[in-house]
Amino acid sequence: MEDYLAMLADLAVRYGPRLLGGVVVTLQLVGISLALGGMMSVPLALARLSRNPVLRLPAFAYVFFFRGTPLLAQIYLIYYGSGQFRAAFEQAGLWWFFRDAWYCALLAFTLNTGAYTAEIVRGGIQGVPLGDIEAARACGMSGFTLYRRIILPTAYRIALPAYGNEIILMVKSSSIASIITIFDLMGETKLAFSRSFRLEVYLMAAALYLVITLSFEWVWARLERWLNPQREAPDLKAPDLQPPAALVEPQRQ
Amino acid sequence: MAAEVALEVENIHKRFGALDVLKGISLTARQGDVISLIGASGSGKSTFLRCINLLETPDSGDVRVQGELIAMKKTRSGENVPADRRQVDRIRSRLGMVFQGFNLWSHKTVLENVIEAPIHVLGVARAEAVDRAEALLAKVGIADKRHVYPGHLSGGQQQRAAIARALAMEPAVMLFDEPTSALDPELVGEVLKVMRDLAEEGRTMLVVTHEMGFAREVSSHVMYLHQGRVEEEGPPSQVFGNPSSERCRQFLAKLL
Repeated sequence: MEDYLAMLADLAVRYGPRLLGGVVVTLQLVGISLALGGMMSVPLALARLSRNPVLRLPAFAYVFFFRGTPLLAQIYLIYYGSGQFRAAFEQAGLWWFFRDAWYCALLAFTLNTGAYTAEIVRGGIQGVPLGDIEAARACGMSGFTLYRRIILPTAYRIALPAYGNEIILMVKSSSIASIITIFDLMGETKLAFSRSFRLEVYLMAAALYLVITLSFEWVWARLERWLNPQREAPDLKAPDLQPPAALVEPQRQ
Repeated sequence: MAAEVALEVENIHKRFGALDVLKGISLTARQGDVISLIGASGSGKSTFLRCINLLETPDSGDVRVQGELIAMKKTRSGENVPADRRQVDRIRSRLGMVFQGFNLWSHKTVLENVIEAPIHVLGVARAEAVDRAEALLAKVGIADKRHVYPGHLSGGQQQRAAIARALAMEPAVMLFDEPTSALDPELVGEVLKVMRDLAEEGRTMLVVTHEMGFAREVSSHVMYLHQGRVEEEGPPSQVFGNPSSERCRQFLAKLL
């Protein structure tokens, strides 16, 4: 038993720092692709919902392709596929981007999460109660103001739990990056395993993924509560909720 | 001299597919008029109200608010649509609407609901909008609830907040679409009281309602709709006291 613990400690000391470095790479990849994908998602969702086929059909095709094919295939297509067209990319001055595995992974993740997030946002927009929109229209609100002030803030709140799910899926799917030579958390783990031949490094990696998702879930729960104060039970001590003095029965002596 | 015309609606037609909902309804509201629209469900009274601020687009007919005609045009497929969306927005901001289901924005507090459109549609400064909103909330009797979310209020309080929200736009005409139909019976009174006060201070109001007591006592004019037509109209004393239409007589006999 003691020998085993000593071996674990040795593994942690030997490979721990590199695994933590991998965590940083994973968080960077996931964080940047989520930010970019998130920015793409709202215009994409609006295009998906547009009555104009010139906007709707390309958005539909994009979402259909990236949700309908494996992320693994997408990352291969971008990383190895671009190699076949190297001359063209060099001519276009884009080769610096496509020859770098990290950029390719980032691009694949961004395009993938952008498609999923667009569908989540679309669901949120379609979930906004019609009466809320009519009330705004009846006040003379329309177009951009209507979206910015009423539709999107409500849609985000509806979409939040589903988007939290997408982020967690993205954290775990990002392990695919290790396949195209990136030393993210999974990449570092594979390296550590190939050197130590100890399965325990995978347990360490699993624990680190769990820590990431757990801390994320904690943050997300706070965010959901902060954005939805109307869901909290009313604070009966708040002055706003005190019945008017006239309605309070006088205390019996 | 008669008061100025606040709202003029001429010959509104509307059909939903095969269903002919409105078969030519007209109405003139002078400043200070309180017009009640009554009738069985399906008679078209809510649809008519919603055609006035174009929440439904009428198939034909004219709407004039304070003399300004809402310009309409025909699309290539023959659909009647507003010619100028901006004009519709401008006109809507002069027509306050109160819905059956309140339709308050649930993630905003009562005060935020009331100041939203004045700030973001009319461009009123925030401090001024808040001052006005607080006065309106006091007027409808829920000043103490200004920082509460709609979900924490009773139906009657929510509807009063919605009335304050509509009033905050300082509308020329208030449109009420069955404002008490979603309320528990004991909460109806507090909303009707607020509406009665508004009528007394000379607001121009169109009220779709099943509250016959309100229609009889508060309105200056009552319209009874049946299958998309005005079957009977006149001062409440006539419509309730001595209706010439047999259908109207039967409708009232069932309710009174």
